[in-house]
Order: sequence, then C-alpha cells, then structure tokens
Amino acid sequence: MIEVSDLHKSFRSGEGWIEALRGVTCHVPKGRFAFIVGPSGSGKSTLLYLMGALDRPTSGTIKVEGFDLTAMSEAEQNAYRRDKIGFIFQSFNLIGNLTAVENVLVPFLPRGLTPELRSRAEELLKDVGLGKRLSHRPRQLSGGEQQRVAIARALVKDPVLVLADEPTGELDSRTGDEIYRILRELQARRQTTLVVVTHDRRFITPDDLVLEIQDGELMNGEAKEPNGDLARVASSS
Amino acid sequence: MWTFAWRNLATRPLRTILALVGLSIPILGVLGLFSLSGGMRNLVGATLSQIQGAMILREGQPSPVFSDLPADLADTIRKVPGVSAVAPEVWKIAPSVEGQTLFGKTVKGLGSGGGSSQVARSLFDQVVIQGQDIVAHQGLKSAVFPKAMIKGPEGGRFLLPEDRGKNRVVISSKIAHDYPDPKTGKPHKVGDSLRIGNERFEIIGLYNTNSLVLDGVALMDIDTARKLLNVSKDKVSSIYVEATDPAKIDQVCENIEKAAPGVDARGVNEILSNFGDLMDQLDHFLFATVALALMVGVVGIINTMLMSTTERFGEFGVLRTNGWSRSNVLTLVTAESAYLGLLAGIVGFVLALVFTTVANQFITSTGLKLTITPWNALGGLTLSIVMGTLGGLYPAWKASRLVPMDAIRLGTR
Ligand SMILES: Nc1ncnc2c1ncn2[C@@H]1O[C@H](COP(=O)(O)OP(=O)(O)OP(=O)(O)O)[C@@H](O)[C@H]1O
Ligand SMILES: [Mg+2]
Repeated sequence: MIEVSDLHKSFRSGEGWIEALRGVTCHVPKGRFAFIVGPSGSGKSTLLYLMGALDRPTSGTIKVEGFDLTAMSEAEQNAYRRDKIGFIFQSFNLIGNLTAVENVLVPFLPRGLTPELRSRAEELLKDVGLGKRLSHRPRQLSGGEQQRVAIARALVKDPVLVLADEPTGELDSRTGDEIYRILRELQARRQTTLVVVTHDRRFITPDDLVLEIQDGELMNGEAKEPNGDLARVASSS
Repeated sequence: MWTFAWRNLATRPLRTILALVGLSIPILGVLGLFSLSGGMRNLVGATLSQIQGAMILREGQPSPVFSDLPADLADTIRKVPGVSAVAPEVWKIAPSVEGQTLFGKTVKGLGSGGGSSQVARSLFDQVVIQGQDIVAHQGLKSAVFPKAMIKGPEGGRFLLPEDRGKNRVVISSKIAHDYPDPKTGKPHKVGDSLRIGNERFEIIGLYNTNSLVLDGVALMDIDTARKLLNVSKDKVSSIYVEATDPAKIDQVCENIEKAAPGVDARGVNEILSNFGDLMDQLDHFLFATVALALMVGVVGIINTMLMSTTERFGEFGVLRTNGWSRSNVLTLVTAESAYLGLLAGIVGFVLALVFTTVANQFITSTGLKLTITPWNALGGLTLSIVMGTLGGLYPAWKASRLVPMDAIRLGTR
C-alpha cells in the first residue's frame, strides 16, 4: 500500500539546513492501522505530510498503491489529495466561515456541490454522532465535535488512506477514546489504511504497525526485516 | 465558492468597511467629476444651441463685452452673399444694479446697513447689458430672449420699436431675484423701477432661459444702452448675423471675414466644438486626479487582502490538503477582493447619487444640473471591480504559492 524508500527531507533554516528525515524506508500494508511515534521534532509530521503529497521530499520515493507521489505533476497531486487521502489534524483545522456540512464538503467546493454529495456529507455527520449539528459553525462546536467533523471530512471522499497528525492531542482522554473508537471502526468496516502520528501509546494495540522515529531515522525497520512486514512491534509502554 | 468568498468578507466587517471607504471615495470622485463636467457640457451646449447663426466680433476678442466695431460695418455685412439678417448689439458689464456691483457690493452694504445677508456672488451672477437694435432684432428668426419670456401677465412683454430711446429694460427672473427691491427686499416685478448705474429703468418684461450664461443679461434699446454705458453713436460691440440657409453658416462666416478684415465671424457650431475640446481636456485632468486617488484605494485593498490572507495561511493549507489547486485558492482570494471592488462601486455610486441630488438643490439657479448617466455608473462600477480585482491579485498569488505543508505548519503555530 505505502512504500517509502530512502526518504530524505531537509529544510532551510537560517544559515544551515535541518535534516528532518534522513533515509527512511518502510512499508505499510493495505488495511493496516499504523502509528508513527517518536520524540518531539523527530520528523513524524514531516513523514506523514510527505505521504499525503503536501510537499516534495529532498530525495527518495513514496509509492501509494503503486503510484509514485514524487513523480506526480502538481495537478495529479491535487487530484490525489482530493480523491484518495483523508487528513485529520491535531487542531481540527476546520474552516471557520463554513458550517459543519460545508466543512465536510470542502474537497468538492471548487467543482460545485450536488444534492447527492450533500446527503452523503449529512449521512457521515450522522455516523459520527453530529446529526443535529449540521449547520453549526466550528466555533459553536466542542473540540471533540470539531474533530468528528474533521473525520467526516476525511471520509467523504471514501479515501484509500487516512493520515492523522496527533488527532487527540488537543482533546481530553475520554473524547480521545471516542475518536479512536471511530477510527478503529472505520478501519474494520471499510478496510481503510490509517497512519496516525501520536505521543500517546495507550491507543496502540498489539496488532498495529508501529514506526518509531528518532532524529529523522526509523529505529525499528528495514535493518531488522529487510524484505518482510517491516517495523512490527507491540507497544512497549 | 462564491458564497464562501462572500462570507470571508462578511465575517470581518470593520476591515471590509475600511477598505470599502478607501476605494468608494475615489469612485465617488470619478462619478461626481464626470457628472459635473457632463452637466457643464449640457449647460453650455443648451445655451449655445439656442443661438443659431453667427456672432461677429472684433478679431481676437473672446466676448462681445470686450469687443468694439464701427457701426457702419453692419451695412457692409448686409451686402455679403448668403446673409439674411443683421442685428447690431452693444454689450457691456452693467456699472451697478441697485447700487451693487460684483466687487463694490460690500461698500454699499456698509453704507446702507442692508444687504449684509446677501450670498456672495459668482462671476456668472454679474449682470451684463445688451443694447439691441430693436427693429433689426425683430427681423431675426432665431432670437433667444423673445422666446424665453415668462408667459402670462407677470412676464410682461419684450422690447418693441416704441421702446427706442426710453429707459425700459427686460431682465431675467434671476436678476429680479438676485437684485431685489432695496426698500421691500422682495424680488422685482414687471412695472417696478430698477436702478442701473445712476439711471432708473422701468422693468417691462421678465424672461427665463434657464441658462447660467444667458440669464445674466439685461436687455434694452441700443441707444439707451449707449447713453448709459458711454458708447459713442458710431460704435457697436457685436453684430448678430443669420444666414439664408442656416446649414451654410460656416461659409457665410468666411465670406464676412473676407469682406470685412479685422473681424471674427464665428458660427455657434464652431464655438461649441471649441468648448467640447476644452471639456475633453478638463476630463483628462480630472481623470488624472482621480486615478491618483484610485491608486490609494487599491493600495488599501492590497493591504486589507494581505492582512486577511496572511492570517488565513492555515486555512489555505487545509484547502490545499483537501485537493484545492493553486488556482482554486487564487480564485477564492481574487473573488473576495472583486467583491470588495463591487461593493465599493455600489457604495460610491450611492454616495454620488446623494451628492449630486444634494448639490442640485443648491445650484438650481445657475441652470447647471448634475446627472449620473447609466454609462458613467456602469463605467464606475466596472472600474471599481477591476481595481478591487487588481488589488487582490498579489495577495492571492502569495496565498496560492504556499506549499501546503508550510501553510499547515504556519497555520497551527
Ligand atoms: N518548514 C520548516 N522549516 C524549517 N524547519 C522545519 C520545517 N518543518 C519542520 N522543520 C523541522 O524539522 C524537524 C521535524 O519536524 P516535525 O514537525 O516533522 O517533527 P515532529 O516529530 O512532528 O515533532 P512534534 O512531535 O513536535 O510535532 C524539526 O526539527 C522541525 O523544526
Ligand atoms: Mg508534529
């Protein structure tokens, strides 16, 4: 499903360069729930964003379903993000001037909305328990509710891959449990592949794939199992 | 997407309004100035198109008031082929009316203690005397004043041959109003006595041309005028000429200039087209001034849009993340500033409507009327939208150029 090989990413910073990723190679099979863990500043978000084609790597390749993201044109990347990837962020990142339904429909706004799309968005919001909040603005919703709108937005395109960057980072633990319950259910029901960055290892189950990053390098991974199911470790804390 | 853009403006009303003011004021300026120049064009056009025929003046003199010609020139001109009617006139600025002159009015005001409530007069309010050869003028087809006499008994009558040599005058209702009876303070009526210089005149008629230029004229017999204004018997100021065929007036003018060296014969058309050129130049000048103000307005829009896009980088990141292309983001931001431009155009147009309506209340007596033509309104609106769009392009380009990853990071920081 996702094949990352020898991925490098450097950022210009003042006088020098910061190497956020230094040769990451990993593999996430289809339908798996994968976690990226590691200390702050280790490059977790950078790896996740590159998987979503939000930027181009300095070197290396990322293939999703066999398509090489690095070889895609700008327009192809736009379409890839629009049709294949669902993003969920730590700070929800809803658009303040749009209602809950419209936020869910954001990927389709430039091409225009159809009644079918609208009812699909409403259906998804009902699924995540927001059937009565359809035309609320984000500021009228609690953090947990906002994150559920964001999940609905990630799912409206029926994505092959959901990428989440610390989705419970700004929520209390009970609301966090609820978010993970929704994500787990999604994985079980639709066979969607999920990659989630987290600091909180208590959501990791023994079946999950864990990619542990430190200083831009994968700590468990190809070195141990070059040809197989990479980086498979149970949670340790 | 368009409603989205609209909401992005509406959620920051104060900022939107400030940017609006910045652009709508110059738009008001554009509309106001063009309506003013259009109004003046109409006014003078209406004035001059009332006068067919041609005016003969001494060469190089812009106005009959400053021109003098020998009285016997009229006989020479009568013999020029194509000329059908010749009417000599004496023109001079009135020495004083009811003791008031344009510049010496304050002196009089001090002396009598009255008249201090008078509004300051403009140059157009100056009374000009026209002494006309009454019999010759009766032969004209295109004379303006007889046709402009107020109907009914309060209008009195126009000059007749029996008024020759008599102190009788026909004035406009504007003059009657501007120089009221000093005893009662009320406007003069037909039958009243009017003091011009040191002489008393009987008002025999009132006219109203509704034209700024013509309504300042007091008409009397040519010899009466000579006596009042110290013009000798053998002089006239100008000679009004009509052609047998009004369409050939330019040809007739050339013939007259050939027959009588040292005179200018100008058809009304010619004067009109000169005036048109002048107004065109005025328009250019006004446009330059307003263009400057417009630039300031556009800078205001750029500033507003930059502020609004900079604080929304995170939002653009989210949009890009959800598959929006660079050009989608560009369109969104440009749409917002185009809306700003449209709003500014509408506000400017409404302000201009209010402004011209109010202004028209104050200038009715001059005959000047400010109007905003549909074309001007449409032009102003288009201009405003274009300016708004231009002002949004740079911020939009900046917003669309962001790498989604950077935009997300900037937005969440
Ligand atoms: N646009 C950028 N310019 C410069 N440096 C950057 C940029 N983006 C990321 N970095 C640097 O790259 C490194 C990795 O950043 P990244 O955000 O991927 O870390 P992270 O593991 O997600 O950290 P956290 O847990 O705090 O979110 C950090 O040192 C960060 O400062
Ligand atoms: Mg991070």
